[in-house]
Amino acid sequence: MVLVLALGDLHIPHRAPDLPAKFKSMLVPGKIQHIICTGNLCIKEVHDYLKSLCPDLHVTRGEYDEDTRYPETKTLTIGQFKLGLCHGHQIIPWGDLDSLAMLQRQLDVDILVTGHTHQFKAYKHEGGVVINPGSATGAYSSITYDVNPSFVLMDIDSLRVVVYVYELIDGEVKVDKIDFKKTATANASQ
Amino acid sequence: MLLRRGKPHLKLPEKEEEEELEMFQVAGRGPAVQRHEESSGPMTRFRRIGRGMGRLREVSDDDTTTTELEFELSCKVINLEALQQIACCGHLDGESRATVWKLLLGYLPAERDAWEGELANNRLRYAELKEELLVNPSEFLRKEDETFSVSKQGRIMGVDGLLSRQKVFNGDHPLSLGNDSIWYRYFKDAEIVGQIDRDLERTHPDIEFFSGDISQSKRNRGAMRNILLLFTKLNPAIGYVQGMNEVLAPLYYVLNTDPNEQNASNAEADSFFCFVRVMSDSVDHFCQQLDNSSVGIHSTLSRLSELLKGNDEELWRHLENLKVNPQFYAFRWITLLLTQEFEFHCIMRIWDCLLSNPLGVQEMLLRVCCAMLVCARHELLKGDFTSNLKLLQHYPEIDLDYLLDTAHHLTPIS
Repeated sequence: MVLVLALGDLHIPHRAPDLPAKFKSMLVPGKIQHIICTGNLCIKEVHDYLKSLCPDLHVTRGEYDEDTRYPETKTLTIGQFKLGLCHGHQIIPWGDLDSLAMLQRQLDVDILVTGHTHQFKAYKHEGGVVINPGSATGAYSSITYDVNPSFVLMDIDSLRVVVYVYELIDGEVKVDKIDFKKTATANASQ
Repeated sequence: MLLRRGKPHLKLPEKEEEEELEMFQVAGRGPAVQRHEESSGPMTRFRRIGRGMGRLREVSDDDTTTTELEFELSCKVINLEALQQIACCGHLDGESRATVWKLLLGYLPAERDAWEGELANNRLRYAELKEELLVNPSEFLRKEDETFSVSKQGRIMGVDGLLSRQKVFNGDHPLSLGNDSIWYRYFKDAEIVGQIDRDLERTHPDIEFFSGDISQSKRNRGAMRNILLLFTKLNPAIGYVQGMNEVLAPLYYVLNTDPNEQNASNAEADSFFCFVRVMSDSVDHFCQQLDNSSVGIHSTLSRLSELLKGNDEELWRHLENLKVNPQFYAFRWITLLLTQEFEFHCIMRIWDCLLSNPLGVQEMLLRVCCAMLVCARHELLKGDFTSNLKLLQHYPEIDLDYLLDTAHHLTPIS
């Protein structure tokens, strides 16, 4: 039972001052084992805050990140799943399924986590799962102003993943979940 | 296990041939120990009547005890009193110790035939309790989902496209801060588990059974962790108190080293119930609110003082004058049932004695504590506050036979 927090596109301080208070009250240290961040934090203070929630932090570079040392992509293995991380502004057209599937094949991962569109999405495409945790602060994007703050918490338990989607809609935190499994033999998600 | 040879005290007159073995056990152990509440006196050499044969022979204590024990354990209906008498001298052999302790604690009923049923029932109950209280939320929710959505097809995604979102079970999610959230409770328990783990790491660091790096030791620690966590969850009023791991340790060790394979593999379940029974006597000592009440630790400590006063007034007065109060040394003796004061193999023998008292563990415990004071009276009378406290907090090695013997012979407080 491994809890992995996926979030990104905070754009602090340029487009948003901080995470929503309701999110911050829920995010306490000691519960989460890994944090993966799609990028666009943008400053070191945010990095330190995330590090205080969990020491195992993975970040990829977004186009507005002030720290240039973050990698463009990252892969990690948690339990039986291979996760890939990339901000997404490099994949053109932005949010295009086929292009993202190409990246997924390149990185050879089961679950690809990308951001940049500031819209939560989770879909299965060509043998892999793509999750976009949206923007954790609800910052505006170049596509739209109307953004609900959201992030994702994955509970990885051997061959099964339960994805908890946290969204702030009209000031209230709404939680949904998505279940999927992977077969032991094939590498693709079933 | 070191078995000490008793000191020969006296020879007994020849017994009648037809005397039953039962009778023999009571009368044969030394002279007129007519105290009704406990049994034997000093270790003696005594004669044993061959069954049905008129031969008399002198045997050593250990042989006699072992064969008596075997006899007792082979009866259809166990005679608890006889067992108590055998156990109280602390001469149980390691192999039967597990069974004897289970009988003395009342975990196993006296009828031999009922053992299988009882054990099976209890072990099943333990498994159920574990499943109910110790499962982690992921697995729990997975099971819930499977029972609820057996009919739902397409949960296992075969088709490309947007993954469908579902409602969370009971509005519960890992970051929930509500008291009725299983996740929240799980993380709260994680703190207790952390403390239990820290204490388990420190239990008997010199004994590999508990503190080794091999998988067997890790399994042992895991089993003990489950037992302590379950106990804590079932008794939220007391919670987990540091020291409970020490009380559990000898119990689990004995039950796990049972030569009977089936018993040893179920040691976790059996230890849990035995642990509950042992704790039920002394649980009040762990509860801080009860400290000053009539059942609390302070009242027990004053009973210890009274016992000492009744048996060795000079020593008592000396300690009173020096202000060496029982709170300073006997707190740990009593709450932890002397597990921290002696070597591990000595603890076994002392517990044999404690568990065998028909009047209960606590009564015998006070006697042994008092005996510890009386046996060290020579040094205590000479010493001052500092040296006495040092001695009592690091009790020196002592001949256990002598100690237990003194304990048996103390005058109880009326």
